[in-house]
Amino acid sequence: MKKLLTAIFAMASTTCALAQETTSSPLEISGSVDTYFKYDFAKKPTNITTSFASDHNSVSLGMIDIALKKKTGKASFVGELSFGPRGQSQSIPDAAAGGSSFHIQNLYVNYDFTDQFSMTAGYMGTFIGYEVISPVGNFNYSTSYLFTNGPFQNAGIKATYKFSDKVSLMAGVFNDWNVYSATRGVSSVGGQLMVAPVEGWTAYLNVLSGAGAGGYGTIEDLTTSYQITKEFKLGLNAANYDIDNDGGGYAGAALYPQYAVADGVILGLRGEYFKFKDVGSVQGTKYTAVTLTANIKSGGLTFIPEVRLDHSGDKPFFNKSGAAAPNAGQFSLAAVYAF
Amino acid sequence: MKYIILFFLVAFSIDLFAQQKQFSKDDNGKFIYYKVVDSQSLSKDTLLQRAKSFVNVAYKKSMKAESITDTSILAKGTMVIDKTILVAGHPSGEISYSFVFEVRNGKYRFWLTDLLYIPYQRDRYGNFVASTTIGIPLEQNPGKLNAGAWKDIVNSTYNKIDKFADDFKKYLATNRVEKAKKKTETISTKKW
Repeated sequence: MKKLLTAIFAMASTTCALAQETTSSPLEISGSVDTYFKYDFAKKPTNITTSFASDHNSVSLGMIDIALKKKTGKASFVGELSFGPRGQSQSIPDAAAGGSSFHIQNLYVNYDFTDQFSMTAGYMGTFIGYEVISPVGNFNYSTSYLFTNGPFQNAGIKATYKFSDKVSLMAGVFNDWNVYSATRGVSSVGGQLMVAPVEGWTAYLNVLSGAGAGGYGTIEDLTTSYQITKEFKLGLNAANYDIDNDGGGYAGAALYPQYAVADGVILGLRGEYFKFKDVGSVQGTKYTAVTLTANIKSGGLTFIPEVRLDHSGDKPFFNKSGAAAPNAGQFSLAAVYAF
Repeated sequence: MKYIILFFLVAFSIDLFAQQKQFSKDDNGKFIYYKVVDSQSLSKDTLLQRAKSFVNVAYKKSMKAESITDTSILAKGTMVIDKTILVAGHPSGEISYSFVFEVRNGKYRFWLTDLLYIPYQRDRYGNFVASTTIGIPLEQNPGKLNAGAWKDIVNSTYNKIDKFADDFKKYLATNRVEKAKKKTETISTKKW
């Protein structure tokens, strides 16, 4: 701990010294800490199999996440590491096999060739989807089926051109999903078109094609959010993933309405439909899920009480006696501190 | 001992003085940062020219002129507010503002008002970006839950605007044409 603090002070002091001689920005340090309590109504810890918050009737840990960013002239880097169940054994990949290490969230360098054109290389949060690993980036504490089954991160190199504040285009080549080094070569191509048709409304049209979960395939994804009034925000995520040679995939959509009922208090709903694709004669499971969440903010701290109800006619869940059930439900209370 | 007590009293007074720096309110109840500056040695035209250059050149990335007359400038702009942890930190949000400059022979005044705060949040790539497009008026009562954090934001904004005002006054007092003409001093090591 002493060594870590010494290192941070040394880096920060160096930054201060350099700041007087160059046009660099100060070293940015940010991050988060989260913890939660979850109670599954059937007392089955992993009844709902989406990512994170997997313990039942336990005050459990999420992760501590620490990010560093530095920009000198046109070049910048971001390095972000997380420690704790959410950031290691429950994330993909686990840096040291066996669930005892850390997870790299972001590790990349960026160069702004002009105000419009930049290139980025390294390991980055995926550009696909609405939700992210960090609890600070999500409104709901539990995660959607779309998030759980999509990519978490992509290593690669990408170029972004900003036509204006309303339109930008990204294109890149990437490794297979969620790996620090490629197992099937630089095997994917991806692109993202960002449009902001009116103030407050941003939409991302994403495509990623290549090696992914389950084989080679293509994801098309729409992620959009619209701050309609000061109080009301609406988000939408829709995605379709096809794995080549009738290998399955998934399709789904999630709607995220959120309403600020008071200063620092926001209520939000997530309604999701998700279906695994049929593989040959094997029917893919269908899910519908409704999650009611509140965010109560006080400074850097956010309390997140949440009730979630999932349904599937294929009975993938369990009831209290261990029998297959079409419904599952859970309550959770999380505390997330961002700094 | 008495020197120690005196030191603490002085330090405490400085601290209190630092806390007392705060925004005034205008006729509409909005926060305003207002300054009148005597500048007897410079003509009205020179001051206006330098103020235009400040908006259109020095601060062109964060300010945009809305209207310019022969005695005034109205501009809109934004500035980033930082959250500091020890010697490092990160952006916590941005303030958008209206900037008004008016000039007469021998003096000028300027003020910043319409202060709206837009909080930043960290995106999936670790960068801080605006979390909404709708700003919160800085005069607004944030409620008990966020009173402390809001006070920090208001103080940071005041300090940032204070620095902006210093930059502006220095810019208007400086002849940049002469400054540009000044060559870097050359030192010869052949003779000594």
